[in-house]
Amino acid sequence: MTGAALARGRTAMPRFLARHGWALGVWALLGLLLAWYSTLIPRFGQFQVVSITKNSLPLIYLAVGQAIIVIAGGIDLSLGGLLLLSNVVAARFMEGQPLGVALLLAVAILVGLALLNGLVGLVIHRSGMPDIVVTLATSYIWSGLALWILPSPGGGTAPEMRWLFTGSPSGIGGTWVTPGMMLALPVLAIYLVLRRTRLGLGLYAVGSHREAARLAGLDVARAKVAAYAFGGMLAGLAGLAMVALTGTGDPRFSVGANATLNSLAAVVLGGVALTGGAGSVIGAVAAAVILIMLNPILSAMGIDPNHAQVIQGALIAGVMMVGGLATILRERSS
Amino acid sequence: MSPPLPLLTAQGIAKSYGPVVALRSVDFAVAPGEVHALLGANGAGKSTLVKILAGVHPADAGQVFVAGRPVQFATPRAAIQAGIATVFQDPALIPDLTVDENLRLGPVDRQRFREGLDRFGLAHLDLDTRVRDLPLDLLRLVDLARAISREPRILLLDEITAALTADQAERVFELLQDWRQQGRAAVLITHRLAEVMRACDRATVLRDGQDVAVLDTQAVDEHRLIEAMLGQATQPVSSDLGSSRARSTLGPAVLQVEDLGWNQGVQGVSFQVREGEILGLVALEGQGQDRLFQLLAGQRSPTAGQIRIDGRPRRFRSPYDAVRAGVVLVPGDRQLAVLPSQSVHHNLALPLFHRLRRWMGIPPDEGRRVAEAIRRLAIDIRAGSQVRRLSGGNQQKVVIGRWLVGGFRVLLCFDPTRGIDIQTKREIYRLLRELAGAGASILLYTSELAEIPLVCDRVLVMHAGRIVDEQEAATATEASLLTAAHGLEVAP
Repeated sequence: MTGAALARGRTAMPRFLARHGWALGVWALLGLLLAWYSTLIPRFGQFQVVSITKNSLPLIYLAVGQAIIVIAGGIDLSLGGLLLLSNVVAARFMEGQPLGVALLLAVAILVGLALLNGLVGLVIHRSGMPDIVVTLATSYIWSGLALWILPSPGGGTAPEMRWLFTGSPSGIGGTWVTPGMMLALPVLAIYLVLRRTRLGLGLYAVGSHREAARLAGLDVARAKVAAYAFGGMLAGLAGLAMVALTGTGDPRFSVGANATLNSLAAVVLGGVALTGGAGSVIGAVAAAVILIMLNPILSAMGIDPNHAQVIQGALIAGVMMVGGLATILRERSS
Repeated sequence: MSPPLPLLTAQGIAKSYGPVVALRSVDFAVAPGEVHALLGANGAGKSTLVKILAGVHPADAGQVFVAGRPVQFATPRAAIQAGIATVFQDPALIPDLTVDENLRLGPVDRQRFREGLDRFGLAHLDLDTRVRDLPLDLLRLVDLARAISREPRILLLDEITAALTADQAERVFELLQDWRQQGRAAVLITHRLAEVMRACDRATVLRDGQDVAVLDTQAVDEHRLIEAMLGQATQPVSSDLGSSRARSTLGPAVLQVEDLGWNQGVQGVSFQVREGEILGLVALEGQGQDRLFQLLAGQRSPTAGQIRIDGRPRRFRSPYDAVRAGVVLVPGDRQLAVLPSQSVHHNLALPLFHRLRRWMGIPPDEGRRVAEAIRRLAIDIRAGSQVRRLSGGNQQKVVIGRWLVGGFRVLLCFDPTRGIDIQTKREIYRLLRELAGAGASILLYTSELAEIPLVCDRVLVMHAGRIVDEQEAATATEASLLTAAHGLEVAP
């Protein structure tokens, strides 16, 4: 009886909204900001689109990586450190290399960081120490290693890598096609893995209710290792994108620390619950772009960039409050 | 006819959680084609045994055999692969995923799953519904359908019928009937003895972590099952607690509960506790007693009825309101009540914190009151710098002692003596009597039926969310209480 009542009792649309409402809201906010930005500057065209896309890439990758880990019930303070590591290795060893070697090196960085962070995930699972403690410690280790590999900003990259992430071999101007693809393809792949495969659902399961997941016969350790491995790989991708963007390596600690905090901001703003098990990477992507866009918007408005962070913080707080209110209202009504 | 080789055998299973012995030594066997009931009073060790058979916890000692072969389960996954599917009391479904996504987490035969849903009348269940949005009865049926879709040889059902309606339970029994004919086995844990008589072939009775009887349900009646669960008269704590006072000396009603309800969990509960009275509450596990306590302590808001303190209606929006009205709780889980890494002193002074005036500091009488509580409760404070290093009994004294320091009108005690040694138990009971003697009103839920007559003045019995019986504590017996708690009529 109850079964019949529940069956198809609700139409698909409200359910879709309930499930993806937050992500849609963040994308809508991004759309509004873009529209507003286009009125602020004299000419809005391909150049701006390319610029926003490529500048967002490192944070998008990092936010997606953080989102996966948070969804699986963890948190990773070392993603910025891993980004630095990828950044300096690429900058030091890729410069002047032929395409084949550069690509090989890129793959090696991604696989290496995935293995490294997967190992961290295993340590967290085995030791029973809180994620935040272990990754805080490793964040210092990775940052220190980065300084060891490249003591001061410098190095370079292969032109083909620049073209891949920025759309032009020089990093200036260029086509939107390759950065657009570098945005869409990894995000889409990760989204499909998370929502369509057994492994991805397992990450949601472990983050949502660890004990129930174990009782259902899931391998909890494997889920944890997988989440951290994905995070490490995406941090590696973010490091490669950063080198391509700036043309040099930058081992400074503050770069990594800022990147970590921004990835968490994007995850929260993107509607991924810090308690785990809920949210999607799609919202985190839009949130990352919003965070990157704030700077050009504020400078177009003539606001001192030094005040930008205040506005960034106020925006996060504001969106969270509106989102929280919407959630409460929806739960009341149902 | 020689008995067939058992499908599932457990020999000498023992399990302790820290100092608490859950299973001493249990032998247990289920034959193919058998539906076997696992019975026992609260705390007898049923759930622990199921968790060991399902691979959730490893046993400390003993051996499990499946179809004669020794097995060792490191994880629930290993048990599933060995052909043992379990439906736990809390459904092993992920709340944030849809039913469909939950199925995709592990190997599940869709066709068989849908057939299972059909059996339970859920053919039209929308699999894209999030688990979080489904009511408990449907979750348990979904969990069961998933379990049977794995084609297990042995099905373990922990309190499967507790959340089901009568017709849903009926369909589960039909399934078990088929199961039997296919030569598979099922183990059913239930508090409903009528179900045992109807659906089960044999029953193993556990008591204090040991198997005490294996009964053929065709040959015995429900009262014989209860006798087996009780066993020889259990050793009660000595009766030097100070005799219960005559009703005439009790004061006016302090706590009055009128027609209190919370959704389906608690329905139409009315009672009153008078000044100086200890009112006992008895129930099997999961009959709504924990919800009732949450309502009284302000942790949940009732959906019906009202609570009066000293005749004045009160609405508690939070435990803060309840404490302010003088209603204080000693919760069932001590971990919810103590600050484990703080000192005894600090823990006892906790209720005084709401009287702190900004940064004026702790009221000057605090030290005296805390010292008084430590003395009165005889709390062993040698390890007092951190409460987590105290024994369970001493921790419980700290939880009670806190309210001696803070002051109260009504004390709600939820199974305060579970897992506590006999000496401390006696001290706690004596303290409760003393408090009542000094005019406190106490509501005491306890799973130790033998001790009701020693501590309480009256006793209420709760079953399926309702108060089903009231007995004078002086004349109540374990048998009369357990019979009523099973929802059966007590013979006059």
